[in-house]
Amino acid sequence: MSGLMRRRPISSLLLILLLALLGWVWQERVALWAFPDIISAYTAKEYCSCRYVMNNDAGYCRGYVKQWLPLSGFTDDAVSKRITVSGMGRSNMAVWIGEHQGCRLNP
Amino acid sequence: MFKGLSLIFMLLLSLTARAENWPAEQWSPGPTVTGPALQALENYAFPPRDDTTHQGIRTDALLVIRDGQLIYERYAGPTTAQTPHLTWSISKSLMATVLGVAYGEGRFKLQDKVAKFYPPLQKHPDLTLADLLHWASGLDWQEDYEYAPLNSSVVAMLYTRGHRDMATFTADHGSYAAPGQAFRYSSGDTNLLSAALKAIVGAQRYADYPWTALFEPLGIRQAIWETDAAGTFVASSYAYLTARDLARIGLLMARDGRWGDQQLLPKDWVAFNREPFAGYRANQDDAVPGGHWWLNRAAAGVARPWPDAPADTLAALGHWGQALYVIPGENLVIVRYGDDRDGLYQHNELLKLALKAFAGTVKP
Repeated sequence: MSGLMRRRPISSLLLILLLALLGWVWQERVALWAFPDIISAYTAKEYCSCRYVMNNDAGYCRGYVKQWLPLSGFTDDAVSKRITVSGMGRSNMAVWIGEHQGCRLNP
Repeated sequence: MFKGLSLIFMLLLSLTARAENWPAEQWSPGPTVTGPALQALENYAFPPRDDTTHQGIRTDALLVIRDGQLIYERYAGPTTAQTPHLTWSISKSLMATVLGVAYGEGRFKLQDKVAKFYPPLQKHPDLTLADLLHWASGLDWQEDYEYAPLNSSVVAMLYTRGHRDMATFTADHGSYAAPGQAFRYSSGDTNLLSAALKAIVGAQRYADYPWTALFEPLGIRQAIWETDAAGTFVASSYAYLTARDLARIGLLMARDGRWGDQQLLPKDWVAFNREPFAGYRANQDDAVPGGHWWLNRAAAGVARPWPDAPADTLAALGHWGQALYVIPGENLVIVRYGDDRDGLYQHNELLKLALKAFAGTVKP
């Protein structure tokens, strides 16, 4: 290993960095896998509550939940009070449940 | 002569009894306040509002109760007197108040182990209800989310890995300290309280308990409290009340847990709410934690966090500028809802200006 380090210092350093990165990815695999869900789940849930719990109008609620990450899909089914949002390759849905319980992510 | 004196005494007694105002179906209006002090408060709380950039101080509602009467309210943006506004972490103090009613029913003691009511916490057998109420579970929780979204326990709990069962998600965290020793603000701690309440009052009563125990006795008609898929109230974040209704909770706290002639919260419960947590260290948070309420007390060798407000001020505080301030010595309750996306809004500034406008000017 020390011979390799002396002969090919740059490649050795890159290899070590790559191994460290893979180690970190492995260690954080659960959090990293869940991460792309944040934007669509957040948007679906907080929009649902803004619209159907706080009874604000749709335009205001779109601005209220707006983040810097783009969404690829957004539907608000006013009849079933069901919001489906896609972004970062994931899709999440929130639905209004009742007068006391408001909205919840589903499933 | 003697008879005359006792008559006067009786008259005085009935006068003081009549001087105590309580809201009925609505708040009764108190004397209107005007003048430059009010103008200064409004200039601070209601600058021109921009719903596109979301910058600056963005007050949705500001409401003031003095001596049990509504003396000021103003709304902005889409919020009205009828809007049940998201309270975010004010919900935590609301859960503490709901627990206070169960405490008054004699259903638990502060030093009870939480595992007794919530078995998944058998991994942390020494954790007590008092520890959770102090945000001192010792669980290795990461509340930060604006700067560390990947490892934020809150974001994972509300939106990704934990949202189906938030209490179980919290209980699965490891420890960084022994329970009851160190303060670390944690939404997970509150949701463990919420899960424990299920066994404390029984699964049958749980689903309606916040309404039957607290909201209905106070005349709160329009409260929403969202649950996770396990049916546990998201006590950390998701209660919604109108500003007028949240002020009822404030009046209950201002009057030591009494509502009319009913002692809804035991006095020793409210005393626990108001007692600074001994394990708190200087500048760990924006205010001093008591029993799931925030206090304006000098603690850990540091002056009180809001120097322009009295030391008896207590508060329930939430994300994006939600606040319920209770100032018992001035008979004031202030509700402030907001949508502040930056750190411009300051509790001390609002309290200073509100006290100038409303404190001690007229006594009934």
